[in-house]
Amino acid sequence: MKILGLHERTAIGRMTAVVVIIVLLAVVGVSAYYLSTTSTPPAHTTSSTTGALASGTLSITFANVPKADPAVGSDEAGSAALANVYDTLVFPTSAGTLQHDLATNWQVSSDGLTYTFTIRQGVKFHNGDTLSASDVAFSMNRLTTIGQGYSYLFAPYIASITASDSSTVVIKLKQSFGPFLTALVRLYVLDQKQVEANEVATGTQYGSNKDYGSAWLLTHDAGSGPYSISAANLESSMTFSAFTGYWNGTQPNQPSTVQMLGSTSSTQALFSSHQIQITDQWQPYSTIIALAQGNGAKLATIPTVNEMYLMLNTKAAPTDDVYVRQAMSQALNYSAIVNNIFQGSKPSAGPVPTSLPGHNSNIPASAQNIALAKQTIAKSKYAGHLGDYPVKYFWVSEVPAEQKLALQFASDMQQIGITVQVLQQPWLTVVADLAKQASAPNVVSIEDGASYFEAGSVLQSRYTSASVGTWEQNEWLQNSTLDHLVSSALSTLDQTARFQAYAGVQTQIYNQYPTIYAFDVYEARAYYPTVVNWYAANGHPIPLLGYDFYFRDFQFFPSQLSALG
Amino acid sequence: MHLNDPIFVQYFYWVQGIFTGDWGIALFTQRNVLLDVQEFLPSTVELIAVAAIIDLLIAVPLGLVAGRYANSAVDNGVRILSYIGIAIPSFVVAVLLQISLGYGTHLFPIIGRLSQTTAPPPTITGLYTIDSLLTGNFGAFGDALWHLVLPAFALALGPIAQEARIMRSAVVENLHSDYTLSEISHGLPERTIALKYLMKPSLIPTITIYALDISAQIGNAFLIELIFNWPGFSRYGLNAMLSKDLNAIVAVVLVAGIMFAVANILVDLVVGYLDPRIRLRGRSGE
Repeated sequence: MKILGLHERTAIGRMTAVVVIIVLLAVVGVSAYYLSTTSTPPAHTTSSTTGALASGTLSITFANVPKADPAVGSDEAGSAALANVYDTLVFPTSAGTLQHDLATNWQVSSDGLTYTFTIRQGVKFHNGDTLSASDVAFSMNRLTTIGQGYSYLFAPYIASITASDSSTVVIKLKQSFGPFLTALVRLYVLDQKQVEANEVATGTQYGSNKDYGSAWLLTHDAGSGPYSISAANLESSMTFSAFTGYWNGTQPNQPSTVQMLGSTSSTQALFSSHQIQITDQWQPYSTIIALAQGNGAKLATIPTVNEMYLMLNTKAAPTDDVYVRQAMSQALNYSAIVNNIFQGSKPSAGPVPTSLPGHNSNIPASAQNIALAKQTIAKSKYAGHLGDYPVKYFWVSEVPAEQKLALQFASDMQQIGITVQVLQQPWLTVVADLAKQASAPNVVSIEDGASYFEAGSVLQSRYTSASVGTWEQNEWLQNSTLDHLVSSALSTLDQTARFQAYAGVQTQIYNQYPTIYAFDVYEARAYYPTVVNWYAANGHPIPLLGYDFYFRDFQFFPSQLSALG
Repeated sequence: MHLNDPIFVQYFYWVQGIFTGDWGIALFTQRNVLLDVQEFLPSTVELIAVAAIIDLLIAVPLGLVAGRYANSAVDNGVRILSYIGIAIPSFVVAVLLQISLGYGTHLFPIIGRLSQTTAPPPTITGLYTIDSLLTGNFGAFGDALWHLVLPAFALALGPIAQEARIMRSAVVENLHSDYTLSEISHGLPERTIALKYLMKPSLIPTITIYALDISAQIGNAFLIELIFNWPGFSRYGLNAMLSKDLNAIVAVVLVAGIMFAVANILVDLVVGYLDPRIRLRGRSGE
């Protein structure tokens, strides 16, 4: 057995030598990398028109890498990217109002069917092209033709859009739509010339517009916003660089570079090692809390325009009885839910999230009152034999925290004699079962919210007959009077009158108890307040999907990272 | 989409599309699947290639040492290491490496292919290490290599363990074969015996498994790429499955199948080179 020892060792020794050489090469490479990174001056430190940019990269995780095509993106990451890369005619404020953006002025015809916008002059796209009214018309036509993303906000209403000259856009509507101006925060303006130069004849085709630049716009931009896309990998991250030629200038300490990463299993390690400065909201709440308790970290709870609804089937026994529904809403322990299960969230007050403009503030916040619930259920036609009518409750298996909500509900209902059959269902099964009245459960817990900055958005999508049979309505209201009231409110041009109409609709819905308003959803994230001064975390959120991440209004202090230890 | 056509007609259109560059639109990325393959495949190929190199450099010497010192303490040590390597799933190894060498000691990066401060090299092959060397960007080369270490090692550990055991068995078998004893009795130099007559035949079963392991790595990399946020083809495949993106899933299966077939052809060639009996049988037409 020892015969080959010496030469075997020689052979192994040679292999070892090869390994050592490779390792040495790697060490040289890594050293070269360090030398190159330490000797290269930081990028994007050029001075700006109004404020010096902060060097370094602000990194934030989201649920996914954004889809930054204005005709495609509509989720949180996509909406955040679009808000930064593209300009819109109007811009939302934290007060729930609109301010001028590309539109310096506008007139609305008395019938509410014609909108005439004056477009800001001198605005440059990231490639140096000048923005004109025809770009606005092109962007709307592209959005409604492709029919994805936020197209649904405009497609039912737009009759025509024309650029009468380089600074004037005229939009004609098929029917009056009161919140039209508000919805325009979702019309992102592209550079027509640049998009047309990048249209290709592969993928989905749109006649002479070929693919409308869709493939190119997934990883590039044709915008004029405060940031441009500097690098994109649809599997990992998208990087944005501050646009120093932005028409509204730059802000002091505005981050020069921002990286939006798709949420990873490594988010905790990345945040703890300060490689990301703001986490996504999709980590388990206990994880967010743990991260926020780290050195220099803080918890941000930010209001959204979403609400957790326990949708009650008004066509199935026993929830077809209004007294049963009312008693259920009185019996639920809301404080236990917001304090123990969905911590950071707030009690709801009616069918519209409280942070949404147009919410009826006269509707009381949801609260438990078991004694009152017992009195109410005694008036029900099912009183005395509720045991014969078990309540079927669906919770969505993809959201584990909803199980606790379901169990809390079952426990509370037991106190008023209602038996609850808790069923875990995959989302696609929930969608399929809600499509038919026969298969729809008595109760299902679903989070839903507004698409634009007004109560009308929720009232229309949740409670009109148009949404019956979709996941947005298990109530099966099918109430033509209510449909008319919502439609009438939406077509009201005067905002004050429209909000009053919204309030009336909310009261009417509330009095029928079709829904248990569990809580207003607040998103929780961990962040480093000394490193990034974030308006949304400081009590000035813009509760419209994506607009809490308008990077131009961030202040970034990368030098503070070293102080975190 | 020809959904109203019979299934074989649909299949014809699909095959036609594959050869004309129309792989269908991916729902996940909303562009031609072929573009996705072109963008994401190189990073996975690079990861698998580095894992394969690590695998070969460690598995063969380990197996050789274990076989040479069979049933000794060294062999037992290698055996334990091998069993551990086989028993622990690669994603667990990945997380442990990430926590210990990435988060704990900061020796290696936790995620990604390059650091935020490093600009990607111009795309030539899509493999950052190769492209950075071709463009003389040694900083990017070092950074790319630095990012490759943990995911590649996590990916390689299972195959290392398996192949080390196979190599060890082959060495033990060949060490006691008649031809080895004959070579010794004829006074051949020990170096020649070790490298030419012992190592080469022992490599044949190892290389066969090695090739299969490499071609299977595209599937093994699914979770590794997820954990290290590696923007590769396997992660793309995982996302495609989660979003039921059929065009993308078909492309992933197609590419994985091609890689598997190519790896097997290559291993046949290598085995033919290593084993003259196979080569000679091929020539004589047997």
